[in-house]
Amino acid sequence: MLIVDKEGILIRYNVKMEKSMTPEEAAAELYPKDELYKPIAEAIFEGEEDDVIEGLEAAIAAGKDPIALIDDILMVGMKIVTDLYDQGVIFLPNVMMSADAMLEGIEFCKSESGASPVTKGKIVVHVAEGDVHDIGKSIVAALLRAAGYEVVDLGRDCPVDEVIEAVKKEKPMMLTGTALMTTTMYAFKEVNDRLVEGGLSLPFQCGGGAVNQDFVGTYSLGVYGEEAADAPKMADAILAGADIAALRTRFHTH
Amino acid sequence: MAINRFTTMAYSEADEMVFGNAKKPVKAGLDLEIGAGYTTAEVNYAPRPEAGETQEKLVNEYQRITKDIMARMVQVGFPSVVLETEHVQQMTNNPAWGAAVAHAQKTIMEEYNEEYGIKCALRHTPGDIREDKEFLGLRGDKMTVVMESFDQVAESGADLLSIESMGGKEIFDYAVLRNDVPGMLYAIGCLGSMDMGYLWQEIAKVAQQKGVTAAGDTDCAQANTAMFIAGGLLDKNLAHTLAIVARAISAPRSLTAYEAGAVGPGKDCGYENIIVKAISGMPMSFEGKTSTCAHSDVMGNLIMQCCDLWSNESVEYHAEFGGTTVQCWSESLNYDCALMNTALKSGNEKILRDLLMASDRFRDPQSYILAYDNAYKVGEAIVKDGEDIFLRAKNAGMECCNILNGSEGLDMTKFELGALAKATAEFEALTSESETFMSDCMEKYSAEVPVFKPENYGL
Repeated sequence: MLIVDKEGILIRYNVKMEKSMTPEEAAAELYPKDELYKPIAEAIFEGEEDDVIEGLEAAIAAGKDPIALIDDILMVGMKIVTDLYDQGVIFLPNVMMSADAMLEGIEFCKSESGASPVTKGKIVVHVAEGDVHDIGKSIVAALLRAAGYEVVDLGRDCPVDEVIEAVKKEKPMMLTGTALMTTTMYAFKEVNDRLVEGGLSLPFQCGGGAVNQDFVGTYSLGVYGEEAADAPKMADAILAGADIAALRTRFHTH
Repeated sequence: MAINRFTTMAYSEADEMVFGNAKKPVKAGLDLEIGAGYTTAEVNYAPRPEAGETQEKLVNEYQRITKDIMARMVQVGFPSVVLETEHVQQMTNNPAWGAAVAHAQKTIMEEYNEEYGIKCALRHTPGDIREDKEFLGLRGDKMTVVMESFDQVAESGADLLSIESMGGKEIFDYAVLRNDVPGMLYAIGCLGSMDMGYLWQEIAKVAQQKGVTAAGDTDCAQANTAMFIAGGLLDKNLAHTLAIVARAISAPRSLTAYEAGAVGPGKDCGYENIIVKAISGMPMSFEGKTSTCAHSDVMGNLIMQCCDLWSNESVEYHAEFGGTTVQCWSESLNYDCALMNTALKSGNEKILRDLLMASDRFRDPQSYILAYDNAYKVGEAIVKDGEDIFLRAKNAGMECCNILNGSEGLDMTKFELGALAKATAEFEALTSESETFMSDCMEKYSAEVPVFKPENYGL
């Protein structure tokens, strides 16, 4: 059998460019100093739901307001995770597990106070009509929730009519659509046309599988999201005042 | 059809495996023999979306595609070709549409075979439509439609029957996003294998009745999902070490088709096919450097090492500078085959195989495991407990980890090594009792995954 030294044949750039710190070391530098808050941030990073609740119980017992804890520590802890993900220190499954733990914490805080927190904004997500592949949508929804947005999830194989009705009813700041197949992504254009006909204008982020920038650029509300992680960045940009043209300038990189 | 599990390897050693030769070649279609001393291109395509509006438009589109490919084959002097039609959903949901397409394609292929003597075969791959908006519906009305689709395409000209079955996907999608190795094992190795046993006995029955070939399946829905999420070297969505664990586990799952009556050639996007070939001795289709029109991978040369059919995965039909897409890609595939066939004829096949393998061996943990020597070791771990679908899938995953843990020349990131260490520990902590594992998982995932319906698997 032939074994050839890889030098000059390939480079594993991920090894070459690897950060020197471990994820745990990097996270430790970012945890809040407060003794009540730090264990909660650690539990979110570890994705340990029970420990998050335990930490919240301790904070509430020490007099903290449950709803204030959502912004003061749950979102703070989650931001540590998403920042480390953006920096390439941790991977997506860590974010998903942390998001599960954080959302569990939010539900706990809501049940403790009986009130609902104010979110950064509402976003409707769906998978194109005819398409049952929803793992991309699940990632997008989790990352948006992790960033503090309220997500209305219309699920997979979502009829165009249902999308239009949801936009009318929920009045979201952004709509997202994911599709794996070229054969189903054309539903996005129909959604776009029906929104425009109905006088509804909002950024419509589309991505996944065979969806590409050229296609999304053909309809007026479309903004191409190459990565699931673009979704919260796009939502943040909208909050900061970006319109569709500005979003395209930033996110249409090809 | 009964299920006969593999408990031995078809090849006595890894070095015995080469491209273009399988222990059990398959005669199919018009004068074609697959794995019988030569490689053949397998061309895949997708119609333009607007062609799906009516049956007539769709048939016309596939006629154009088929004529384009066959004409280019003759123009450049290639001796054989396989065409694979992966159904758009309209063709499976309306079995008569799929049948009309198969008939139209086969008519053209027969004309070329008659006039030029070109050896060819037509594979049809109905979509696995066994699901509704919320849940998989693997057994019931949708299963009836899928089987009707197989029946009609087989009747109308399809020579090779395949599917990319979805069993286990509802658990896998949940598990893979949570680094949940036991969950992936349950999804692919147990639920996927159970569904395939159920499904492929029926497909094999249709093939037998119609005198065509029950070809094979692929774990596209799960192992390829892991591979795509893992992405390139700089992507941060899944450790490549976990992606290859999922792939190793998928080998015994895809093997189930051949235990339930399929005979090959396996489906192109089953990167696990190298392990399946080592165990079954049946011919396999692969895709790699010539499927970049559909997706990227990190083993484009290596995966060609032992192919019997060489595929482009899929390309949408439209014009390019060099002709239509199907003409361009079929030509590229066939030049690769011409090179492999030259190597075979001149006795240099092992040299070329090793060059292909060596050029990607250290590119990634995925390519390292799928190098034919390591793939063979995973195969040995599978057949060791071949009668137990849980144990053999666990063995595959553990052997994959063991090979990576003892790898030489492969550089891995700390993250990849961390994920590998976690997976290794999780495998070591697992029970060896199939019933215990199944009942524990049933309890856990029934509680955690709302879309999991055990009745889909007869549980």
